[in-house]
Amino acid sequence: MDFGFTAEQKMLRDSFRSFFSKECTTDQVLALWADPQGYSEKHWKKMAKLGWIGLAMDEAYGGSGYGFLDLFILFEELGRSQLPSPLFTTILSCMLIDLCGNNDQKQNFLESAINGRCILTMALLGEDGDPDFHSPKIEATIDENGQHRLTGKRWLVPFANSADAILVCADLVGHEGGPTLYCVDTQTEGISCTRVETLYGENSFHVEFDAVKVPESRIIGAIGAASDGVERILSRATILKCAEMVGGAQYVLDETLTHVKARHQFGRPLGVLQTVQHLCADMNTFCVSARLVACQAASRIDQNLSAEKEISIAKAWCGNAYKQMTWIAHQLFGAIGFTEEYFLHLYFKHAKACELQFGDASWHRARLAATMGL
Amino acid sequence: MNLTFTTEQEDFRNQVRQFVRDNLLNKGFKVESKGLIADSDVSFSKAMSEKGWIGFTWPKSHWGQGRSYVEKTIMNEELYRVQAPIGYHFLADRQVGPSLIHFGSDWQRSFFLPRIVTAEKGMMFCLLFSEPDAGSDLAGIATTARKDGDYYIINGQKVWSSEAHLADYGWLLAKTNLDAGVSAHNACSEFILDMNLPGVKVRPLINIAGEHSFNEVFLDNVRVHKDYLVGTEHNGFRQIMAQVDYERAGIERLMQNYPVYDQLFDYMKVKQFQTRKPELYAWAKDQLARLTVEFETGRLLCYYTAWMIDQGKKPTSQAALCKVFCTQYEQRLNDMAMRILGPMSMIRKNGSNAPLDVDVAACYLWQPSYTLQGGSVEILKNIVALRGLKLPRD
Ligand SMILES: Cc1cc2nc3c(=O)[nH]c(=O)nc-3n(C[C@H](O)[C@H](O)[C@H](O)COP(=O)(O)OP(=O)(O)OC[C@H]3O[C@@H](n4cnc5c(N)ncnc54)[C@H](O)[C@@H]3O)c2cc1C
Repeated sequence: MDFGFTAEQKMLRDSFRSFFSKECTTDQVLALWADPQGYSEKHWKKMAKLGWIGLAMDEAYGGSGYGFLDLFILFEELGRSQLPSPLFTTILSCMLIDLCGNNDQKQNFLESAINGRCILTMALLGEDGDPDFHSPKIEATIDENGQHRLTGKRWLVPFANSADAILVCADLVGHEGGPTLYCVDTQTEGISCTRVETLYGENSFHVEFDAVKVPESRIIGAIGAASDGVERILSRATILKCAEMVGGAQYVLDETLTHVKARHQFGRPLGVLQTVQHLCADMNTFCVSARLVACQAASRIDQNLSAEKEISIAKAWCGNAYKQMTWIAHQLFGAIGFTEEYFLHLYFKHAKACELQFGDASWHRARLAATMGL
Repeated sequence: MNLTFTTEQEDFRNQVRQFVRDNLLNKGFKVESKGLIADSDVSFSKAMSEKGWIGFTWPKSHWGQGRSYVEKTIMNEELYRVQAPIGYHFLADRQVGPSLIHFGSDWQRSFFLPRIVTAEKGMMFCLLFSEPDAGSDLAGIATTARKDGDYYIINGQKVWSSEAHLADYGWLLAKTNLDAGVSAHNACSEFILDMNLPGVKVRPLINIAGEHSFNEVFLDNVRVHKDYLVGTEHNGFRQIMAQVDYERAGIERLMQNYPVYDQLFDYMKVKQFQTRKPELYAWAKDQLARLTVEFETGRLLCYYTAWMIDQGKKPTSQAALCKVFCTQYEQRLNDMAMRILGPMSMIRKNGSNAPLDVDVAACYLWQPSYTLQGGSVEILKNIVALRGLKLPRD
């Protein structure tokens, strides 16, 4: 057992952090949230050039060949900085194509995504906002020309308007078995995106498919066999979300400690008050423990061990811990933290969004109970 | 002891309900849920005034109706059920009136009280207490009021001033005794500040829900006539401490998100939560029931506080305890609502496919303010410990 990171990983972290801290102020985040595109092309090109989009992808497709733990560090730093970009969704889409696609598809999509020329996103959520890929309410039929046609609606799809292609599961009519995974070109006729304003400012859309044509070559993996791959990538996504949360949590703790030392009321720093000290101690417990459970799951994934139970533990714990930390931080910052100009709300919103995405604590506890035979 | 309402009280509740139906619900009013102070609508305030429902608890000798705080709580409970737009007269009714009745001059009472109870135009108030360096520690204010003949010259900066951009008057705390040796508690005075005076500048602050509700207020050589000083010069701090109980006691602290609570039940029943998410149904039911336990407990705390005031008892510790409990309940409510509703609850402003009619995401975004505004949870617990439980001071 070793709870530390390697020297190389520490260097990676430093380079992530120095890039993000240069590129990202609260004002910039708010501007990108308001921007119709939702990210900056300049950032995207730079991240591609630094090799981050393909950080954990195979060198054969232009990737950098790093491991899952390195990816974990990337998302931790991303969570710390809050820089809006389609990094999360593109990287996970790449992982899905890498896992399920054939050689042509990998050649085609991975290389251009890794080089920053193409943005990918996933449309996996049904009308409750939960993943419903096992039996997606989106239908595929085969027309007289042998083309597949997709019809249905997907909710809360990140960066759908800037994406070049959307990964979506559909139920192919007339076929037994599970869902089929399609990679749909967003320029195809019949796709319409409606922007939705959400609590967290990340670019998000409802996407409607109206008899959208998809050539057979864009089926990723075998017909009716998407479930396992999607499930596997979603579990990775869950832990990378946990990494974001851990990064955000650490930053919130650091800044809160700085604040309570600097802010004076009643002639002394807030930090001398025992009430305040105990609240800070609680934040610290949340932060340390969230990092441990998230790293435990990440490390098992990195070593290709089963991680179902650890993933649910991580998501159930981190979601609550990070959220509670942002509550305490808001309490300790007082009214200044309630203004849009101040950084804190980015994390408060991020924490709530992370808590609800990829299953919240009650959902993961139910799953955990199931893995234990309950 | 009898913890049920009398027939008269039930009748009064029905009257308020009927009034809400006639003046709001049957007129296409849309129930929303926002910050503490619901929207302001002078014509609604006028309609309330015609009922005698502004200045409701003030003595009859002071343009009021002399009704009890328990009845007022009944009224507010019904108004907050739909988040009625009472913002125009809310502060003047709750705080300004009672303060003037306690401390104001005859002129101030006869000028302001009748105008407030009739919801006359130009009678909206805001509170100008907090400053950048004086939040919890109000005695740390730096705004000064220097005497100059019949006037005071006011200089300084206030912050977090809710609705200052709409208000006609500000209730202001400033330092009148500038001698270095005098403790802050003996140096402050209260003023009614006409927000239209030269030298008053209001700058908007946008809050984390993206709304303009509070402000910075800059005071640059503002000349205020001495008739607008409230109570005794240099005694403002003690006067404020006597007033804040009114700010903390109300059921509005429990009910500013009532529509979320209400609509959650509909959501669970109508949208067939049980068949759609069977694995979470038992959990969600338990959580809602738990919120109900907390809501009903909070409601009793509010009525108990009101009853204590009616009995002539000093409610300081009880009001503080009540506000702590209620604001924390509201945080749990919005948080739990979003968890039960799932990711679609993140959609703002009732956008397409948002699960409730009210903007529950906005409610979640407002919630960090509940436990700060009007005395933070920590400061209130200090009050409970020191004043209520008489624990020794540090
Ligand atoms: C939405 C909103 C509306 C507001 N509207 C108004 C208004 O209209 N007019 C107005 O004048 N003010 C208004 N306020 C200001 C409000 O009264 C202050 O936020 C409050 O007094 C706390 O002060 P602060 O924000 O400076 O926090 P600080 O005083 O800096 O406190 C920060 C933290 O330290 C804790 N703390 C401080 N001292 C102690 C102590 N002795 N013991 C234990 N803990 C302590 C506090 O509890 C808090 O958690 C508003 C605030 C908000 C958020």
